[in-house]
Amino acid sequence: MTDTLPAAAAYDKAEQLPADVRAPLRDLILALADSKRVLGLRYSDRMLGSPTLEAGIAASSMAQDEWGHARLTYALLGDLGDDPKALEHERSAGEYRGLQALDRDIEGWSGMTAAALLLDTALAAQYSALLQSRYTPVHNRVQKLLDEERFHFQYAAAWTRRIAAVPELRDGLAAELARYLPEALRWLGRDDAPGAQRLVEEGIVREPASAVRARFLAKVGPVLEETGMAEGLGVARGGDGWSMGAEPDWSGWNDAARRSGGSLDEATAARARGDLNRALLLD
Amino acid sequence: MKEPVYEVFARKTREEPLRHIGWVNAMDGDLARVYAWKTYDEQNWAEMCVIPRSAIIPVDPGESQFVTAARDDHEDEIVHSRGTGSYGGGDVAGREGR
Repeated sequence: MTDTLPAAAAYDKAEQLPADVRAPLRDLILALADSKRVLGLRYSDRMLGSPTLEAGIAASSMAQDEWGHARLTYALLGDLGDDPKALEHERSAGEYRGLQALDRDIEGWSGMTAAALLLDTALAAQYSALLQSRYTPVHNRVQKLLDEERFHFQYAAAWTRRIAAVPELRDGLAAELARYLPEALRWLGRDDAPGAQRLVEEGIVREPASAVRARFLAKVGPVLEETGMAEGLGVARGGDGWSMGAEPDWSGWNDAARRSGGSLDEATAARARGDLNRALLLD
Repeated sequence: MKEPVYEVFARKTREEPLRHIGWVNAMDGDLARVYAWKTYDEQNWAEMCVIPRSAIIPVDPGESQFVTAARDDHEDEIVHSRGTGSYGGGDVAGREGR
């Protein structure tokens, strides 16, 4: 018996992973990749007609960031036995596992801002839990992605403050925040989902869902509080962190898909797949 | 509503001096940082800074593009640019006649 345990070895390839970890890891990576792909599409729909030219340029860049993150994330699935190109370009709408909140278009600039603040930040929080992963391919790719996400958060926080300061726009912003917050919190999943537990036990994901959720709330809570939106959303500062009054609604929740039903529509899936440019795809 | 102008400075290596590369309109410093980073991203910058135009004190105001004190309407327009008013945007700032 020694005083210190040796550091757990890294997993350089998926084939080294315990068998019962591969499926939940694939589920997580696919949910992240699909969410990034669809979020990028939704951002791109809002970049024209933005309040200012600079805001539109930044939204365009963020949309491209999201697609870059999606591609990087799909590529990880090659090591887990998938064909990333097939995942990107050949699935039907019903096979997409993106954030359920993104099945619908983002409504207006308040919706854009709320999605950037809550959905984008929830995804970043989940990626952060992979930053110190024992699974090296994930660990190696997350830092650059999170560096870019810092700017997405600054953008979202600043626009939240801006819109909240306009009396006739506050209610609309509050409604969009209320629409996305429960979805963001729920998407981070359940601690006791068997696959999620194994990912944490093996050090693939460094925090259980509840800890990721707390970190997400600690990130967005101050912005919601500063803008007077927190109380209406049930977000409160207390003790050493932030909390949400209500538990996520887990009815119908599928831990693997991170959804409770519904589907992306076929037209959006066609855009996500790049159907119009299929003949131009390069290997 | 007028948005302040932020001047953007950057350098590609730590050894070279910061140089002026452009400007952005932004309502605060946080957004100016994001806009600058996203607008002037064609280079792999080692460092980028934004500075409110109003904070720059030209040695010779008559010769400088950076006017610091909004003493009359002309200078106010230089410190605060409407810049994107023809963009047609919308649902937030449009009510203010941009």
